[in-house]
Amino acid sequence: MGTIAGAFAMSHVVFEPEKCPDKAARVWAGMREIARRIQALKPDLLIIATNDHLNNFTLALQAPFIVGVADEYTPLGDMGIPRTPFPGSRDFADGFVRFAAGAGFDVARAEEIAPDHGFAFPNLVVNPGGHIAVLPFYISVANDIPPTPARVWSLGGVVRDFVARERAAAERVVVLGAGGLSHWLCEPEQGRVNEAFDRMVIDKMVSGRARELSALTSEEIRRDAGRSGLEVMHWIFAAATVPQARGEEIFYEPMPEWITGMGGIALTP
Amino acid sequence: MSAAPYRVHRLIQDLNRDPRLATTFLSDPEPVFQRYGIAEHERQLLREGTPRALLRLGVHPNLQMKFLRIRPAPGGAGPGPLASYLRDLNLAP
Repeated sequence: MGTIAGAFAMSHVVFEPEKCPDKAARVWAGMREIARRIQALKPDLLIIATNDHLNNFTLALQAPFIVGVADEYTPLGDMGIPRTPFPGSRDFADGFVRFAAGAGFDVARAEEIAPDHGFAFPNLVVNPGGHIAVLPFYISVANDIPPTPARVWSLGGVVRDFVARERAAAERVVVLGAGGLSHWLCEPEQGRVNEAFDRMVIDKMVSGRARELSALTSEEIRRDAGRSGLEVMHWIFAAATVPQARGEEIFYEPMPEWITGMGGIALTP
Repeated sequence: MSAAPYRVHRLIQDLNRDPRLATTFLSDPEPVFQRYGIAEHERQLLREGTPRALLRLGVHPNLQMKFLRIRPAPGGAGPGPLASYLRDLNLAP
């Protein structure tokens, strides 16, 4: 019986600090704090739920949920991220795909991924040196028809059940939902940040009411957080792995300079 | 706003993945447009190639960014937005 030792969520990229040095410093300090807490939990495996930005998985074939099953990954190198390989976990990944199939989820398996910044940057921050084996868990919010928040919540529950029922008693797993919060990228409202929406998400996440977020529709999220704001589903996924958990806000900065509401939270199972 | 037809997205995806195709496109886009079956009104907006034009065409946001980046930036790519953070993580090249 494995354990989900912790669940976290945070934005999955940063931008030039010169644009807003004080806010950038607080965001960066918050990300480093999340990194410290993750490392203090001494996980055996780190699941990072995120989205690919049409670098690995294009519109040519749109699977809603994809896990990496490779033994090792080399980042794509976008945004100057070093192309230093880091270990995966084939055993966990394939075990999960089999378990999920029995639980009503047909999750795609990816052997070849060059993770872009959506995975590679948070991994760089919270898993320096790549010492923790990782499971890239892609929730394809960039798809023309994205998965629903309700479906994402259920899938997070399947991860929870898999860890509890199928993994060794000593195994410690940490889940990080990476992305968000509100941002309108290459849309007419680019530059808008919906602080009210972002704070609502954070509040529900840390007060044990994350399940309420799963009742949102994708259309509602797009309306209130932007098409790119669908990345909030990665937060929902992370919370679903520890559904009764409460936690705390680590950082939140509405940053139109970065066209994004930048946030990070920690949940305690 | 309706999404661009898949042929437009297929073109941009291929330009992103194939540097030689991108070079060919930049020197003379018309044969590439022809190969991908791009309609004339779509070609006009892609020739214009501005964020506004791509938005009007209904190009997927992630692919808008890729199309805008196939042209080399004046003066080179620069250090990128993560440079100072990578230095902080002792990962700067």
